[in-house]
Amino acid sequence: MSATRLEAWLCGAAALALVLLPLVAGRYPIYLAMQILILAVFALGFNLLFGYTGLLSFGQAGFFAVGAYVCALILLRVPSLLLGLVGGVAAAGVTALVLGALSVRHTRIYFSMLTLAFGMMLYSIALRWRDVTGGDDGLVGIPRAPLGPPGIPGPSLATIERYYYVVLVVALVAVVVMRRLVRSPLGLTLQGIRDSESRVAFTGVPVRVYRLAAFTIAGVYAGLAGALLPALENTVTPPIAHWSTSADPVLATLLGGIRAFWGPVLGAFLFFVIKDIIVRYTEYWLIWLGAIVVVLVLGFRGGVGAMLGTLLGRLTQPASGRAEGPR
Amino acid sequence: MRTSSRLVRLSLAALLVAGLVWAAPASAQCQLGVPGIKIGVQGVSSGSHADYGRQIMMGATMAIEEVNAKGGILGCKLEMKFMDDENKPAVGVKNARYLVTEWGAHFMYGTDSSGVAMALGPVLQELKRIHFFTHAATHRLTEELVAQKGIQEIVRVSVPVYQDAVTAALIFKDRPEIKRWATIGADYEYGYVTWNLFKETLKKYRPDAEFVAAAWAPFLTLDFSPHISAVMAQKPDAILATPWSGEAVMLLRQALIQGVFDQVQVWWQAMGGSVDVLEGIASEVQRDRFKGKLWATARGLHNWPDTPENKAFVERFQQRWGRLPNYSAETTYSAILITKAAVEKAQSLETKQVIEALRGMKIMTPAGERVFRNEDHQFVYTVPAGRVVWDAKYPIPVLGDLKVFQAKDYYRHPPFAPVAATK
Amino acid sequence: MTPDQLAYQGLVGLSLAMYLWLLSAGLTIIFGVLGVLNFAHGSLFMLGGYLAYTAYGLWGWPFWAAVALSLAGVGLVGLVMERGFLKRLYGVEEAYQLLLTFGFILILDDAVKIVWGGVFKIPPIPRFLDGAWPLFGRPFPVYNTFIIAVGVAVAAGLWLLFEKTWWGRMVRATASDREMAGAIGVRVPRVFAGVFVLGSMLAALGGALGTPVRVVAPGIGAAMIIQAFIITVIGGLGNLRGAFVGSLIVGVLSAYGTALFPVFELFLIYVIMAVVLLVRPQGLFGGHA
Repeated sequence: MSATRLEAWLCGAAALALVLLPLVAGRYPIYLAMQILILAVFALGFNLLFGYTGLLSFGQAGFFAVGAYVCALILLRVPSLLLGLVGGVAAAGVTALVLGALSVRHTRIYFSMLTLAFGMMLYSIALRWRDVTGGDDGLVGIPRAPLGPPGIPGPSLATIERYYYVVLVVALVAVVVMRRLVRSPLGLTLQGIRDSESRVAFTGVPVRVYRLAAFTIAGVYAGLAGALLPALENTVTPPIAHWSTSADPVLATLLGGIRAFWGPVLGAFLFFVIKDIIVRYTEYWLIWLGAIVVVLVLGFRGGVGAMLGTLLGRLTQPASGRAEGPR
Repeated sequence: MRTSSRLVRLSLAALLVAGLVWAAPASAQCQLGVPGIKIGVQGVSSGSHADYGRQIMMGATMAIEEVNAKGGILGCKLEMKFMDDENKPAVGVKNARYLVTEWGAHFMYGTDSSGVAMALGPVLQELKRIHFFTHAATHRLTEELVAQKGIQEIVRVSVPVYQDAVTAALIFKDRPEIKRWATIGADYEYGYVTWNLFKETLKKYRPDAEFVAAAWAPFLTLDFSPHISAVMAQKPDAILATPWSGEAVMLLRQALIQGVFDQVQVWWQAMGGSVDVLEGIASEVQRDRFKGKLWATARGLHNWPDTPENKAFVERFQQRWGRLPNYSAETTYSAILITKAAVEKAQSLETKQVIEALRGMKIMTPAGERVFRNEDHQFVYTVPAGRVVWDAKYPIPVLGDLKVFQAKDYYRHPPFAPVAATK
Repeated sequence: MTPDQLAYQGLVGLSLAMYLWLLSAGLTIIFGVLGVLNFAHGSLFMLGGYLAYTAYGLWGWPFWAAVALSLAGVGLVGLVMERGFLKRLYGVEEAYQLLLTFGFILILDDAVKIVWGGVFKIPPIPRFLDGAWPLFGRPFPVYNTFIIAVGVAVAAGLWLLFEKTWWGRMVRATASDREMAGAIGVRVPRVFAGVFVLGSMLAALGGALGTPVRVVAPGIGAAMIIQAFIITVIGGLGNLRGAFVGSLIVGVLSAYGTALFPVFELFLIYVIMAVVLLVRPQGLFGGHA
């Protein structure tokens, strides 16, 4: 069996398992699965920027928060989840476009610092603009509004199982779209920019425009992930805009594998599972997470994804002969 | 031979019976049909406010040990799980979901943060579990979420901001020389409502009162020097301060070195009667650095009331943990006593029936008699305020010169006129 | 506010600035020489505070001895961080160095919880630093004056170190051209280690000197690192003079912000950071981008 066939089978199996989850699991695993899916979407967007374009942003949480807050504000006034999601994504996309236009003037450490500054600017707005964002106390009591557009009655999402399917469908669509993206000319150009900026520039490609495209898409994904949050948690508070939240997709991607397409998804799963396991035994889970980060960065920069990839490569060797390049 | 083998058989039989009797469970069977009653507890147990989560946990643990030793509730043993809510609403909600849907908690207790409490309220309706609030003080929890929005699953066992805000006004309204008030406030719900409620109450008695300055410090402020100097520039007669726990200790330390206690007449420290704050300022109090100007209150004092119940509670706590109990330990302890009384009356763990059993409850607890108020699910009890003094009987400062105001006299009651939760 | 009050508030801001200066000086030196932006620098500051608290508050050592222990201890931790871990990433993308130091934050934050517990700690103020003296018509704390003096002394000391000593010249050579310095005989790995240790000790000094008036608790390191980043960016990454001026700007601005424009204060600081990065990324004092 070729590697692509195996990949397709694994994806299919995983998708099926996710669809069947509510039938076999209790409410808490479903809740956990939604958090994983949200982080997976968040991290997928982040990795387009980091793994494929080579730009490390520490401010993605800002766009996540824009998506979450705008969706929450909409849900508190209009009982339409569809409107909330669309509104959140649109707001995050516009914010990413504007801030991205400024950020992509730089690369490397200056880029990272700039995104950090912008992310924290959004955090300070969330924290201080009490009239709109609720300040330190945030927005609470957000209803899990029905799905339909405003005015048209849609299916109720009151139970957590129903909302789970919304999140699952959104996440699957996001994955499929991203897959298309990275295989498209856009995706290949981004990787070229990451590997050798000057060479790509010589061919006449407007490097900055492509970087901006990647940044905006990453922001849209972050906003989408954020917009899924209010209906899940019923609360939106400033910490979701803080740089420590920006670290979540970074860690997930590092865990799963930075250069691999499935890295962020795998990493999101691992991140929650590892934390859940550690927390059962000790309250000191950060030290273990930190140790894992150190080990991965020093020795396994391909993350768990790379380890699995080598394994898969060995399993499928007779058919393909050579391990595939970056997918 | 036959007699001895009969003897052997008889003695073996006797041993067997004795063994069965000895091995049989000492307590009666659980009458509620569950393997045990699960108690979910939350509090902040990390960072500069970590002592409150610890005290909540210590109070709950001791209560559970005592209840279990006497046979549990209707024969059912209690089991506890404590989680850190990091003072963040999102974490508190996540923990609550985990405790109820995954761990199977029957009742929940705790939380220090008003922000967490306001976020939890609506979720409790979804989870259909009672949460006994043992620290979070915002009046909006009971006035809005219970009295107005009808969320029955909220029960508050501790005193609300009426304590911090109203008692200050009641004490200092009789000091005509104190006119100019300023606040160094916590930059979130708790700080705003305390200051607003204080101003509103004082204005009723002292129309001449002036509110000359306000400096707001967000959670996790490391240095209050600029707040102190900004406020002192307006030459206030008295200061009302709401940062709590480690921040209160830091604030008082930094105020001392700016000579604040030579300039103002009174410093009202909300929650200054809390054990961790008293421990932190012990040496300064011993040397009378605050010149008798530091006043404080808390949501329970270990040295009041002077009843046998309270004294016994404090003694048992000290023996068990080696420290004096903080108010959040007492409130959580009492919450579990209340749970026992309610479940025994309802003869059930069903949320609706337990809530019904709480109505009209009057119960004796270490902090005095607590009376349940049906309209807003607030347990009403009296806590005095006083001056922070050194008393050689205790290893840490205490509140002395106590002013006692009966809670039922000054607590707000329905219909509740809203108090702003903004600066 | 009257001019006197403004001046007083400014002085308070100056003392705030000095803690930030001690934190940022190390951060910027390390970046300037090693090219590493140490995310965990704030955690070293916090660790310095814990060590000083333990020696002075728990064991009863004299204040100076406690501070010295704090410097030595954190210097050692810094040495291990650099020689044991960071050096393996010098050839690799910077992003991984940032991630590694982020991992250190997680480890150090939990480690202090495990050793000292989660509750805040604060020792008494040393007697000779207690009290206040009249300034602009109000009492100004002796402690804050002391901090200002230390900050200025450190600035002078660092200037002397880098301008006038042989070691300082080696360091500057390494910072400006690593390969060339190696070629003329500078032991670059030793310089790296030495600079990292110096930077760590500066952070520890800030933390240690803060303990009698501020609490030390888990998480205060992560809370401060952002301010240090802002300062280093404003002043210019790797530029000591810039870090000093940047600290003054941030410290004094936050003091005035508290008194005069509290709502915008936080936002303003990030805006300044972003503006500097956009308009003059090498910072106010940096020579080249």
